[in-house]
Amino acid sequence: MLLAQLLISGIQTGVLYALTAAGFALIFGATRIFHFAHGAAYALAGYGFVFAVRAGWSWPLAALLATVLAVGFGLFMDAFVYRPIQRHTGSFFTVFVAAFGVVIVVQSGIEIGFGRAFVAVTSPLTHASAVLPGLYLARAFWIALAVAVVMFGALGLFLARTRTGIALRALAENPDLLRAYGLSARRLSALAFALGSALAVPGAVLGAATTGLSPSVASHVMLVSLAASVVGGIGSLRGAAVGGLVLGVAESLVVSVLDTQWSEAAGFVVLFAFILFRPRGIFGAALAR
Amino acid sequence: MTAYLLNLAQLAAIFGLLAASLNVLVGYGGIFSVAHAVFFGFGAYAGAQIALNVTPDVLLVSIGGGLVAGVLSLALALPALRVRGEYFVVASLGLQMVATTIFIEAEPVTGGLGGLVGIPPPQLLGFSLASPWAFLAVCLAALLGGLATMRVLMRGSFGRSLMALRDSESAAEAFGKNVALLKTLAVALGCTIAGVAGGLFALQMAFVNVESFTLDQSVLVLAMVIVGGTGTLAGPLVGTLLLLLLPAALTFLPGIPPTEIGAVQQAIYGLAMALLMIFRPAGLAGRALGKR
Repeated sequence: MLLAQLLISGIQTGVLYALTAAGFALIFGATRIFHFAHGAAYALAGYGFVFAVRAGWSWPLAALLATVLAVGFGLFMDAFVYRPIQRHTGSFFTVFVAAFGVVIVVQSGIEIGFGRAFVAVTSPLTHASAVLPGLYLARAFWIALAVAVVMFGALGLFLARTRTGIALRALAENPDLLRAYGLSARRLSALAFALGSALAVPGAVLGAATTGLSPSVASHVMLVSLAASVVGGIGSLRGAAVGGLVLGVAESLVVSVLDTQWSEAAGFVVLFAFILFRPRGIFGAALAR
Repeated sequence: MTAYLLNLAQLAAIFGLLAASLNVLVGYGGIFSVAHAVFFGFGAYAGAQIALNVTPDVLLVSIGGGLVAGVLSLALALPALRVRGEYFVVASLGLQMVATTIFIEAEPVTGGLGGLVGIPPPQLLGFSLASPWAFLAVCLAALLGGLATMRVLMRGSFGRSLMALRDSESAAEAFGKNVALLKTLAVALGCTIAGVAGGLFALQMAFVNVESFTLDQSVLVLAMVIVGGTGTLAGPLVGTLLLLLLPAALTFLPGIPPTEIGAVQQAIYGLAMALLMIFRPAGLAGRALGKR
């Protein structure tokens, strides 16, 4: 029963990881920018939500604020950090260091504003009820699952059926051809950043309402979405989703064998193994070497 | 005040050596490791164990630290041979996270979260180095020795092959360079020197715990190299001085509540990293790197 319980909490974390990682994968897939600061969008959304709820806003309004913050941050990074860097150097490492600098700024800003301790909003969502003897399910589990299914479905439809979605995929394939067809690569990349950052919001809001947030959540989420994308195959949305789920479940299941301290490390052992033995991930195309 | 400055100077020498060693990987080899604090940590824990159980002799401690880190550097060389670019950064991130957990959990060796305390004052061949001046001289000697080694190696055939590999791996391979061997050696060299710095660090602090070997530390060292300028001898030193002195200088700045000073320092150095990458990506003392 313990195993089933751990599996369930693993799935709950996993689907939220999957959404966040899908945001990262969407941005990387369309723009070829390794958005290391993706975790900061998550942290801003989560803390924005906590701030609004504490200020007495209603939940939907607070979630809206969280979305605005995350999307605003994504657009800001695209326009004022990545684009200027890409104008004069193509090096991914320059991008990485700059993004990491921004993560540090966001993290310390949150520390100054909210303190180093965990913050959370109290909610009835974590109230667990027994479905089977010894097996507890909280309402948060169903919400996380439903949100993930709806958002992935919508995203899939958007990318497959709408003109803008197809243009986004074309941007990943061949930006020059896209320009030849008269579409704006800049506007599409901004759209990718907005959408990708918005995908971090459900995880952030539910995280704030269940486990709580700490300032280091920015780097943790960044690592998780990186790991999930690599495990799934970089740039592949489906891969990122599966990777996130795998990581969440692995983190949770490892607790049944080892101490809780190992739960984060477990994900990275999986990641390390993938890089050594199957660097293109589960769904990825062969690496261009 | 003198004691404070001496302490700062010792740390600057140790971190200078550490940053210079990372420069071998990042600046010359094009191996963008975000796990350098891991090898600094291996060296520090090994050095601390030697000092606690055998002798606090500086030579033995730093050589022991260097050897342990050098051997374990295979853990970093392996992914470096498999993948490049973003993938390698992610792999080294993974290594860093796993190693941090191991540092916390392997209590018999590392002392866990509490760390290893009571490391005896350093000696050199039987002479006590308890005086901060004497230990500073040792740290400076190690820094100069390390820099001289790197300069000789990087100017020679090894360094030139390494830079060729950084600029174009396939071209280097076409010229008959043994890419796998070169990368492994570069990683081993950088990590060994990081281990030596770790051994010195253990003696300098007389106390080691996991706080000094986390991702934050890896990024700080990386920032030292990048801010100063990669692929140059002076760059890492400039970066080290700047990033070590910045917190010290901020302590004297009025108007910041003492409880927030850590966060404000972090914010300033994060901002400096981002702005520098946007406006001067080659660093303060460097040339442009890794244009693709």
